[in-house]
Amino acid sequence: MTNLFFPEAWVFIAMVGTFLLTVFLLRQPVALALLAGSIMGAAVAGLGFPLRHLVEGAFVYLDTILIIACAMLFMRGIQASGLLETVAHHIARSLRNWPTVLLVAMMVFAMTAGMATGSSTASVLTTGAIAAQVFVTMGLDKARVGALIAIAGLLGMIAPPVNIPVMIIGGGVDMPYEGFYLPLLVLTVPTAVLAALWIGWRGIRRLGEGSNLPPSVHREYGLRLYFPLLLFVGVVVAERAFPTGFPSLGLPIAFLAAYAISPLCGRLFNPVKTAVQAIHDALPILGILVGVGTFIQVMTLTGARGMIVEAFAGLPRSLFYGSIAVSMPLFGAVSAFGSASILGVPFLLNLLGAGVIVTASSLSLFASLGDLVPPTALAGLFAAQVVGEKNYLRILARCGVPALLIAGVAVASLVGAPTLERVLTRSPALSRGLFLSGLGLGLTLLVLGLEWLKRALTRKEEP
Amino acid sequence: MRARPWVTGAGFLALVAVVVTISAFTFLDMHRDRPIYAGPGVTRVGKLSAYFPSLAGTGLDTDVYYLEGEAPGATVLVLGGTHPNEPGGFLAAVVLVENAVVQRGRLIVIPRANRSGFTCTDPGEGQPQVYHIPTPGGPREFTFGSRATNPVHQWPDPVVYVNRLGQQLTGSEVRNLNRSYPGSPTGYPTERLGHAIMELIRIEKPALSIDLHEASPEYPVINAIVAHPRALELAVKAAMFLELEGMDIAVEMSPATLRGLSHREWGDHTDTLALLLEAPNPSQGRLRGRTDTHLVLTGQDKFYTQAGTRNRLYVKFTERGWPLEERVGRHLQTLKVLIETYSAANRATPVVVAGFPGLVELRKNGIGAYLRPPS
Repeated sequence: MTNLFFPEAWVFIAMVGTFLLTVFLLRQPVALALLAGSIMGAAVAGLGFPLRHLVEGAFVYLDTILIIACAMLFMRGIQASGLLETVAHHIARSLRNWPTVLLVAMMVFAMTAGMATGSSTASVLTTGAIAAQVFVTMGLDKARVGALIAIAGLLGMIAPPVNIPVMIIGGGVDMPYEGFYLPLLVLTVPTAVLAALWIGWRGIRRLGEGSNLPPSVHREYGLRLYFPLLLFVGVVVAERAFPTGFPSLGLPIAFLAAYAISPLCGRLFNPVKTAVQAIHDALPILGILVGVGTFIQVMTLTGARGMIVEAFAGLPRSLFYGSIAVSMPLFGAVSAFGSASILGVPFLLNLLGAGVIVTASSLSLFASLGDLVPPTALAGLFAAQVVGEKNYLRILARCGVPALLIAGVAVASLVGAPTLERVLTRSPALSRGLFLSGLGLGLTLLVLGLEWLKRALTRKEEP
Repeated sequence: MRARPWVTGAGFLALVAVVVTISAFTFLDMHRDRPIYAGPGVTRVGKLSAYFPSLAGTGLDTDVYYLEGEAPGATVLVLGGTHPNEPGGFLAAVVLVENAVVQRGRLIVIPRANRSGFTCTDPGEGQPQVYHIPTPGGPREFTFGSRATNPVHQWPDPVVYVNRLGQQLTGSEVRNLNRSYPGSPTGYPTERLGHAIMELIRIEKPALSIDLHEASPEYPVINAIVAHPRALELAVKAAMFLELEGMDIAVEMSPATLRGLSHREWGDHTDTLALLLEAPNPSQGRLRGRTDTHLVLTGQDKFYTQAGTRNRLYVKFTERGWPLEERVGRHLQTLKVLIETYSAANRATPVVVAGFPGLVELRKNGIGAYLRPPS
């Protein structure tokens, strides 16, 4: 028993040690440090230089890499064409007298791309980028704006209709993706509202008539300005609505198609130059994903991954929930989807019984937190790109309390899964309606109350 | 002095080219079909594309082995290699092809149901590309494949895979043959493969269709027969006989809500009695330690042993592990009893198959004793 975790523990220590040494002492990029850690891990495990595994591992996140690269192009394209600022202009103008409502509405809006695609990165780089413009106009600093769209990306990824971590966990235990919409909405939307209020409420201000709104180029280009966004939304919606009739183009093609027409729909820009710049900006993150892939491959090959899973999944019941709360976000730093697959499935198997839908939903919330854990911290990194914040740790610091809130919601729903599931899926329509109405009413009153308070405070500040 | 950016870039690209070229050999070698030798009972070998011509010439077309008896009887279809990372199911089908002799009725075997999946491994899983089984005439090499179709043959995956029957699954399941049924003649390549297998069942009308699988030890459905409702009675009877022989096996009814799986769709869309067999395979599990050919062949793993001692698995797991011969033996023994039980209940159209080993023989002699030596 005492030797159970050895020699795998030595391998893991060597991998992590080499990684840290390469980053902090040799000052090399994270991607190269991960590769160095992988090579060292294989060597310590007596596997020499496993070229095939290093190459194969580099392909683990190929699809994610393509989505990120293409999403970056799309984001830069709609930024250059003027679409991003124009959409932000219209939204901010329509709700300028209701700053608290606008804050919450933009938070939910920022989530929508994540809800449709199941990807926090796509969420941050599309609807998140639009919402960011509005948040900046409302007077929030870069770190707060970044935190808002990062948290929106996270919760958008978990909110229905597309929750890939739940699908992965469900696939591991042959559980169909059915009956999840309501529990996922209840877990994510109120959390998003509370997170938005926590991060942004104190910093926002009412936009008066003379407010400096983002510029709109709507007059110059008319409806064609919106074609790239409509094309992207159209392709994604058509693929989801007509899965057997519409060709599956995938997110990268949808992003690329929208990017391709961007220069023709708004302000003219050089698509090649913009694309080169976008890829240049995304390259460090893409490199990290390649490095993470090799790291995972070598961890699995050497048994270090199994050691970690056994160490957490094998803890006594009293420590079990704690181990989930710690291990899933930590492993999610490597990949939220990887965390769902590697840890989420054994955890769910240990918790099988009543409330399995809510349990799987809670586990997906834990996995999503990995997108805020360095070194990858995808949501934080991309939020920093969007708002132009050089130090993404400032954004992650702002995400601290909302992340704890998400973890708290996940723990509470995990513990109360049987009850919550009974209320949300099996109780009579009347009691379910009462529960949901109460939740909705509570949130509405909270937002309107804070709106009133904001106005009162603003009046007091005004001369 | 710092190198100019283009020099660094060119050097890096050259390094990548060298790495890709060297490693390409090992990846391309997986596309070579390792031979399966037709045994004394094989009367002809055909292609799955005979049932769905558009599969011809693609990486998904696969060999179909026909073992026909002299006396008439019913037909039994056996699929191995639906998931090529489950070697027990695949090797049971290979042992059948190389040894079984049909006296009455007919046996149709597809050992590499998803042949494309045998040409790659799953990135991130660190599994071996090949493993060897010793035979009296030298070691036989087989590829350890992926759970799904090779992305070279089908890519990219959608964000969400919606099966033809509306089942929503994570996008990568679009390449999983055992989520693609009843398939589609115009759908994704894996759905076309599923359609071709359905066509085979419609045309050849097997009375019994059996899909051989393996599962990770933490998976609830394990050491089990999963039966379509119409095949449930047969499965329960067979399980009772197996229990009497000392082999523990559970019976699970195919859930009506989980669509796209062989045990559900074969039974719902054709007249066949659809069954799926599961055996434990630690080399595909999440708790496994070092991932190598030793794990594939012996099924021994210290982390699984530890989980087993704490009753966290759905199968008994000791230091002895779950050797490949035990897993293949369980499949063949179950197959034998299923065929006998079916024949006993259908005396007008029985199926009589001899010559292939059961669990006792495999435990005693190993798999290699029932594989042809490499030629």
